[in-house]
Amino acid sequence: MSLALRAQLLLFLISLSSRMGLSRYIEVRSRFCFVNPFTVMVMCVCVCVWFVGCLDMLATDGFFTFVASRPQLACASFIIAEPSEVISLELSDVSIDCSAGDFIKMFDGWVLKGEKFPSSRDHQLPLHQRYTDYCSSPAPGSTSRSSQNVAMIFFRIQSPDSRFTLAVKKLHNPFPCNIMSQSPEGSFTMVIPHQRRNCSFSIIYPVEIRLTELSLGQAKSNELSPQRQVWSGCSGSGDYVELLGGNGVDTSKMFPVADLCFSLSGLAQMKIGCDNSVVRLVSSGNYINRVSFQYRLLEHNELPKTRENSLDNFCSVE
Amino acid sequence: MKLNFSLWLVALLGVLPPPSAHCGPTVAPAGPRLPRPLLLRLGEEFSLRLGGGGLSSPVAAPDLFISSSSSSSGVNQALLQLTQRLLQVEQQQQEEEVVEEEKGKRSEEPPISLDLTFHLLREVLQMARAEQMAQQADSNRRMMDSFGK
Repeated sequence: MSLALRAQLLLFLISLSSRMGLSRYIEVRSRFCFVNPFTVMVMCVCVCVWFVGCLDMLATDGFFTFVASRPQLACASFIIAEPSEVISLELSDVSIDCSAGDFIKMFDGWVLKGEKFPSSRDHQLPLHQRYTDYCSSPAPGSTSRSSQNVAMIFFRIQSPDSRFTLAVKKLHNPFPCNIMSQSPEGSFTMVIPHQRRNCSFSIIYPVEIRLTELSLGQAKSNELSPQRQVWSGCSGSGDYVELLGGNGVDTSKMFPVADLCFSLSGLAQMKIGCDNSVVRLVSSGNYINRVSFQYRLLEHNELPKTRENSLDNFCSVE
Repeated sequence: MKLNFSLWLVALLGVLPPPSAHCGPTVAPAGPRLPRPLLLRLGEEFSLRLGGGGLSSPVAAPDLFISSSSSSSGVNQALLQLTQRLLQVEQQQQEEEVVEEEKGKRSEEPPISLDLTFHLLREVLQMARAEQMAQQADSNRRMMDSFGK
């Protein structure tokens, strides 16, 4: 029996033996290939990951049981939904020892290298309210609902055979704000109707962004709007769109590469060669603001070449 | 006059408990605690005026304590102001301790984060999307099978 066939058979048996939902984890202490037991039915997806700890990403609804075969001290699972959805998380069948240092914490957003998405200035809740701690006293938190299409859980399980089940459910969000794109290509229209808030659309790829429509400052009534003053940049305006680029997920720490504070009906495009490219709509709440844009992944030859002996950290923009 | 005033202050401070030596918030201070800079300033003033001595203790030379037979109104006013200041300081310290305790509770939770590169994040995101598409394909296939029957 060939090695590939044996691997497939073993994984098929593993998938049959899981009692409920998908029992899954990715645990890496050295480089190895992990074949997703679910996709082995349709296609073989072999992904090599190299990370100390355990890590997972969930994009589907369902029940997911996490079982520790050995102590897992730093685990996280990112959860992502469609842009027009929010995520509901519920813990059940939890068998951990909080007093021994085990924990399960759900976070409203993503945290990566100490940076949060959405940033504190774009999220409506203070930071401590974005965490739901299962082990907290007096009332342990076992349910959480995200404010945008991303959420995550952090957990530490030190005793073997400790486990918990996470129910992931997606709910429709009619006015999405603060979106993380699942793909490096696509299009989106962001609308902020009479709300004083800032919304970001984040693409964790270097992309070319084309703004196809921008509608700012539609008054509530037919009253004439006052003459807009000319500011240096749009930061003095109450409503504007800015394009950001950076190498983290926190939009407040990214570099503004362009901003627009006048409505436009033509095309405006920009290439952002950063790990993260963001379209951010700032709204005063006085108007209905809307921005439509398309984005595509930059090809390798379109990526800016790093200049030799350069001290610049900033990812290039064209 | 100033020397008498200083001596009265030293006497008053001598009956107060010394400031706490350990770090961290105390639950219930036994008495009003003077902030250290005030003590040092008094000690400095005392030692400077006497032309010597260190800053180790504000009550550096007990033999220099002179009891005054009658206290002037100015000294009384100064003592009253000192008492009021002591009470204010105590209140401020208690408020700061409460704030520090709250901050401590919030900061007990370590800032949880993953040091994950964007490259790895994209890899797991692609895996998750592939899984989602496979699940959708399977669901569509079942739907078509049921329609075909």
